[in-house]
Amino acid sequence: MTVTVTPDSFSLVLFDHDAIVTVVERLVADIGLPEGIDVRVEVDERVPLGRAEILALDPITLEVEGGALEDPKRPRQLSTDGTADIIGRLLLRARDRLDPAFGDPPPDADLTLALRTAWDVHCVGRLTRLGYRAQRQRRLYAFRNRHGFSDDADAAFERLFTETDLTWADIVAISESARANAAASA
Amino acid sequence: MKKMLPVEELARDERFQRVNIFEQAMDPRTVRNREEGKGRSGPQKLTPEREDAPEAARALMHGIFMGEIQALEGAGRTCWDFPTGPGREEAPFELKLDMARQCWDETRHVEISIKLGDWMGTEVGEFAEATFLYEAACNPDPVLRLTGVNRALEGLAIDIFNTMRDFGSVSGDPILEFCEDWMLADEVTHVKMGSDWLRKITENDPERRANALEFQRVVDKLFSLGGFRGEEDDSPIRLARRFRELAGFDTAEIDDIAGLSVEARHDADALQQKAAASVATGTAVAP
Repeated sequence: MTVTVTPDSFSLVLFDHDAIVTVVERLVADIGLPEGIDVRVEVDERVPLGRAEILALDPITLEVEGGALEDPKRPRQLSTDGTADIIGRLLLRARDRLDPAFGDPPPDADLTLALRTAWDVHCVGRLTRLGYRAQRQRRLYAFRNRHGFSDDADAAFERLFTETDLTWADIVAISESARANAAASA
Repeated sequence: MKKMLPVEELARDERFQRVNIFEQAMDPRTVRNREEGKGRSGPQKLTPEREDAPEAARALMHGIFMGEIQALEGAGRTCWDFPTGPGREEAPFELKLDMARQCWDETRHVEISIKLGDWMGTEVGEFAEATFLYEAACNPDPVLRLTGVNRALEGLAIDIFNTMRDFGSVSGDPILEFCEDWMLADEVTHVKMGSDWLRKITENDPERRANALEFQRVVDKLFSLGGFRGEEDDSPIRLARRFRELAGFDTAEIDDIAGLSVEARHDADALQQKAAASVATGTAVAP
């Protein structure tokens, strides 16, 4: 398994190519991707925004806008924590998609904001247990924005964040139940 | 205690990191988004439908938190930097009382903002601190501080609090909505203080009033931040006309701010194109 990060050097941001490779290699080892699958990370340094997406699953190809890896305190500089957070979530989603037992989620472009957020929470929960930064309250705030500011939503978040090996059907059920409860109490 | 404290000497601990507004404005990456059709496009008003809405709200509210700290520092400095009296180099006692009251409000806003940050999952100092608010509060003329800070910057705070209160309401976040509503009420009084004192102090000095209003225009334009605040569809922060009226702005003044926002957007586009050109040719861009 190889990890490739492009470009080799950056001119518009002060990112260290090797530092990104190191973070991704550690993530690959920690997450445990299927044997023989390579990982490519394409960083678009021209864009200071935070979009990040999976372009392909074999090899796993991720496209990340430079702003997603940027230190919010230090413009144009790399945040290794932020990089692990963004790349880690994408790699876990890729691993889920490659796992037949997980189920068959729709393409990313067809995911609702609520389902995308719910899946992210489950990814971050798993990353946290692997020793990466949690920012639990930040994730809870994002989840509440998509599922309502209620005890039901918080309970749903707790399940997504703490439970292991949820399937896509589990994630959909938890998300839709929370949204239904929020709609009923509105 | 030192008079006219420079921005470099503001007390901050290791959690905070400052950034230069010019460096931000000159970031060459933004223009490339537009040229190549990347980055954001379309309406950018902060609504729950935006994928990045929770993150954008967190960053914006941290910026407000830093602004509250600097507003506290600025109002406090105005109580101290000038001798008490009616003269041109002085500040009337009643004005200082208003500034002291504003300090009380800003302190409460800092506390609210910290608790709001806890609610939204934001750490103190998580985002960079831009110090331009305090820098506007360092003017040696107290009347220019009133126009630059109370009318221009606290006016911007009205626009932001109103926008964020609406965002909290639409997204169903009762904490954000209440926090913004309460702080918004205070900001209206701060802006009105600026409007009232400007008229009172410069009643018989039209030249000083003109200078103060020109300084306000400069600050208003700077704080329009390339179209960040305005009345266009893709302005994340909307100009809050009704609350500005309550704070002592007339319609012509509000129209003027809307026009400055459009100008600021055009200026920012030109700056970014210049910066992008400099990157392409490997030359530096002078401020």
